[in-house]
Amino acid sequence: MSKIWAVCYYTFRESLARKTFIGFFVVSSIVLALLLLALNVDAVDGALASVTLFGKEAQGFEIEVRKLVINIEAGLATALFTGGLFFSIFATASLTPNMLDKGNIDWLLAKPISRPQLLVGRYLGGLLIVAFNVFYLIGGAWLILSLKTGIWHAPFLISGVLITAIFAVIFAFMVMLGVALQNSAVAIMGAYLILFFSPMLFQRDRIYALLSNKIYQWLLDGLYFLTPRTFEIGDLVRKTVLAEPAGSLNPLWHSLLLGGLFFSSALWIFRRKNF
Amino acid sequence: MNPIIETQDLARHFSRGRVKALQGVSLSVQPGKIFGLLGPNGAGKTTFIKILLGLQRPDGGAARIFGIPVQDPAARTNVGYLPENHRFPEFLTGGALLDYCGRLSGMRDPDERRRRAEILLKRVNMSDWRDTRTKKYSKGMVQRLGLAQALLHDPQLIFLDEPTDGVDPIGRKEIRDLLMELKQEGKTIFLNSHLLSEVEMICDEVAILHKGKLLRQGTVQELTTSDRRYRLHVHVDDQDLLQQIRDKSAFAEAQNGHLDVVVNGFEPLNEIIDLIRRRQLLIEAIVPHRQTLEESFVQTIQGAGTSDFNTLFSSEEKKSQGAQA
Repeated sequence: MSKIWAVCYYTFRESLARKTFIGFFVVSSIVLALLLLALNVDAVDGALASVTLFGKEAQGFEIEVRKLVINIEAGLATALFTGGLFFSIFATASLTPNMLDKGNIDWLLAKPISRPQLLVGRYLGGLLIVAFNVFYLIGGAWLILSLKTGIWHAPFLISGVLITAIFAVIFAFMVMLGVALQNSAVAIMGAYLILFFSPMLFQRDRIYALLSNKIYQWLLDGLYFLTPRTFEIGDLVRKTVLAEPAGSLNPLWHSLLLGGLFFSSALWIFRRKNF
Repeated sequence: MNPIIETQDLARHFSRGRVKALQGVSLSVQPGKIFGLLGPNGAGKTTFIKILLGLQRPDGGAARIFGIPVQDPAARTNVGYLPENHRFPEFLTGGALLDYCGRLSGMRDPDERRRRAEILLKRVNMSDWRDTRTKKYSKGMVQRLGLAQALLHDPQLIFLDEPTDGVDPIGRKEIRDLLMELKQEGKTIFLNSHLLSEVEMICDEVAILHKGKLLRQGTVQELTTSDRRYRLHVHVDDQDLLQQIRDKSAFAEAQNGHLDVVVNGFEPLNEIIDLIRRRQLLIEAIVPHRQTLEESFVQTIQGAGTSDFNTLFSSEEKKSQGAQA
């Protein structure tokens, strides 16, 4: 366990040294600074008395404080789900291929550490740095908004767990591609394709009407069942923060199961690979 | 004494069996020795080391380190490795890299890791660079740090692939001295080097690999001593005498006061000595001829049917290994 933790820790440090994650952290810090310094909410008996942004009073906010907080949190969660995932995929795609580079993998594998331990440590390190960034923004925003308004809306924190979970699934897919092909670009493309096609596959019923051949229908169904359901989980994130009925959690379980399958495949390939 | 490394009929093929990198290599290395693996480009040296370290899986045969099959990570618990052309994470300082390596090697105590790192950095003259990121290191410094990480957990067996590559002559001498010190401490060193003079200086035992086959294995003394060739320090000007000597030997040549003869056994050698003494010539010395390791190596490879010596010691090895991989 200590060896897995060592790999995880140094992967985290490696990621921290990258400009992409520093950029992610800076953007998150700017958002938090905006919430902390620029947004002022005055409430009287749970209703908004005034909202000021950069010292100017915003007009037309005749809603409850709770609703305003939830809307801000939903906006942040949605932005983090799309932008944050996009950013995280880009920043972590090279973690696996870099580890497998000639000259690097030689000294790593010569240590008394098993290949599964090495890959698990690497995976957890990548996941940890993304979780750190996600919860830095979500946790920070939640704390600032709650302290300013007195509205402690816990589902916003759950959205952070959901975003991290779907990243874990996509990251497992990237690790699998990274181990098999040792190419960061392919891993990035693969992950973006999942994000891009997920809404289309969700709407596949409408596409069937345009298709004459049944084979295409089967193909779309197959793709739908073999890819993580990022679009539906995005919707789940939004509904969770807005405290709307989430509906079925099947997309989440299905995606997590696929993530497990992707990572198991990555382990299987890595164990058999010659360097 | 049980061998520290033992392989039996080790085989490794590439390109669906068309390239035979290793063909039934069986060798053993005894503890406490410096063992040199020699061979021309594409001989299979790196493949052999990679199998021993679990980086590649053999297609046939078996390999054990400390009696443990090499597929088991436990076999590498007491092993240090300096790979050729290694790359360390550039975001780490030398000190942090050693800490990482120590943790991967199972050193749980941070104080012990720090203590060993200090000792090793001092030993490879890198103490002043401990807190500098490795991306600022020169090639020679990366090599020294590589050596330090290989020795950090005080392993009993150390694999070194071209350890003096990129190191200046003084640094090479220091590394050689360090290897001799390690030997004094009872460590076993498995050395893969193209520098035959270096191998000759420090190795106790050598194996020559060619086209995936083990051609010779023995002590440096055994490989460099020819039991049929002698140099007699004597002035022979008489062509008639020289012809008589040639009749009794496989080869005889006189020049600059030396007579080089190749004989089949001691009897013809004594007959030649009798011939010379009958002419009242004074024999100052009879010295068994000793080849350099390089001469022995070339002779062995030539004997195996290689004629293209331009391919030896060139950068082509990397290309061929790349193609194999």
